[in-house]
Amino acid sequence: MNEKQAMDSWKKSCIKIGTPTNLLAAATAFIPVIYLCVTYDCWPSFSLVFQAWLLTVISFGAFYIVEPLSYYASLGMSGTYLSFLSGNIGNMRVPCAALALDVTDSQPGTIQAEVVSTMAICGSIVTNLIATTLAAFIGTAIVSVLPVMIKTGLQTYASAAIFGATFGNFALKQPKLAIFGLGIPLICKVMQSYVGIQAWLIIVLSVFGTVGIARLFYRKDA
Amino acid sequence: MDYLQISNQPIIWLLCGVTVLIAALQAYFFIRLARKTSASVSLDPAIPKKAFRIGLITAIGPALGVFIVMVGLMAAIGSPMSWLRLSIIGAAATELAAATNGATAAGVTFGGEGYTLMILAVSWFAMALNGAGWLVSTGLFTPLLEDLRAKVSGGDIKWLGVMSAACSIGIFGYLNANSMIAKGPHINMGVTSAVLGGAIGMMLLGKFVVPKYPRLAEYSLGIAMIIGILAGIIHDTIAV
Repeated sequence: MNEKQAMDSWKKSCIKIGTPTNLLAAATAFIPVIYLCVTYDCWPSFSLVFQAWLLTVISFGAFYIVEPLSYYASLGMSGTYLSFLSGNIGNMRVPCAALALDVTDSQPGTIQAEVVSTMAICGSIVTNLIATTLAAFIGTAIVSVLPVMIKTGLQTYASAAIFGATFGNFALKQPKLAIFGLGIPLICKVMQSYVGIQAWLIIVLSVFGTVGIARLFYRKDA
Repeated sequence: MDYLQISNQPIIWLLCGVTVLIAALQAYFFIRLARKTSASVSLDPAIPKKAFRIGLITAIGPALGVFIVMVGLMAAIGSPMSWLRLSIIGAAATELAAATNGATAAGVTFGGEGYTLMILAVSWFAMALNGAGWLVSTGLFTPLLEDLRAKVSGGDIKWLGVMSAACSIGIFGYLNANSMIAKGPHINMGVTSAVLGGAIGMMLLGKFVVPKYPRLAEYSLGIAMIIGILAGIIHDTIAV
């Protein structure tokens, strides 16, 4: 099979796996609450649920669209289905995929890159599922004996450390672009305290602003 | 019965397990597809294996973070629901916000006086509805995003590579800025130490260590992460 045929068939298969699983998971996540309401006959009114949903959409609604859009070029098709079902995108999926592409020297857009980032993301999902399952069963016992220093270190700094490390890896390869990539959101975050910029807008400005600047550099280099 | 007792019943584990199982199955299906595809284009089987190992190992650090955070969430929404929510899209802060919105809509405090079973149900609905936002949008619109990427890249594979890297730089620039700067504006020094520790650690590893010991490349992110966490802990020790 040549690269193009393989890519076409890959994309078709990704949709075949991803669409039903993501939609099904959205539905099955309601099973526990439906059981609760049926068993204890505690159905809340529609308007109450609607109000709670509305409050939640106000905080997170824009991210339902902005995040898949902003992460797409980094995750690809399979990565998008996997990451938006299994979550932990910034702190696990993208760093793992990016490192794997790097170490295996895979070029984005090739079938090798698709396979590599998919396998890396799946590997990270296995680790995540083991961690959440262990936490559910023995987490309380373990956390009660952990030294406070380690607990705080992991709780407060694990995400920040991997955000920094992943950024550092990209900065090493694209130092010019990294200055803008960090500069845009830093300016937005500082301004956020003075004028009301929505968080989702900062993501859009950071990602597409950096892509725009990359485009300028790219034309110059070409 | 207390709402946490009800949330922790064995049957709830089973019901939450359905969705966790779907997440695991999806990963399994994609692994199978990746294996089949690499065989069809005669990709060296060592490459996907290595990629899987990188994901498995690199995720250990962040997963430990999730582990600790989840134990905190379990005290608020019960163990099975925390297991479900943190095995799929969503983070502890997001889930707590959605669960609290359920209580707020009903005019009571989350977990406090008047937090009845019916309001617990509102909280659970709010979490499920919120998660469904991402799942439905990606479930339905991912093919459109692929078309969009193809259009923007215009078939230029070199630009596609640059664009993917630029997206990641923008994302991580945002994630860093977002954790370093709080409202005020005010710099969170502990978190900033962790970010800088991770970034500088990774750059030093990439520049000086990995070229000499290429085998370390796949552990580099994990090592840099430990450096970042240590930097945060050192900051706390000095600041106190």
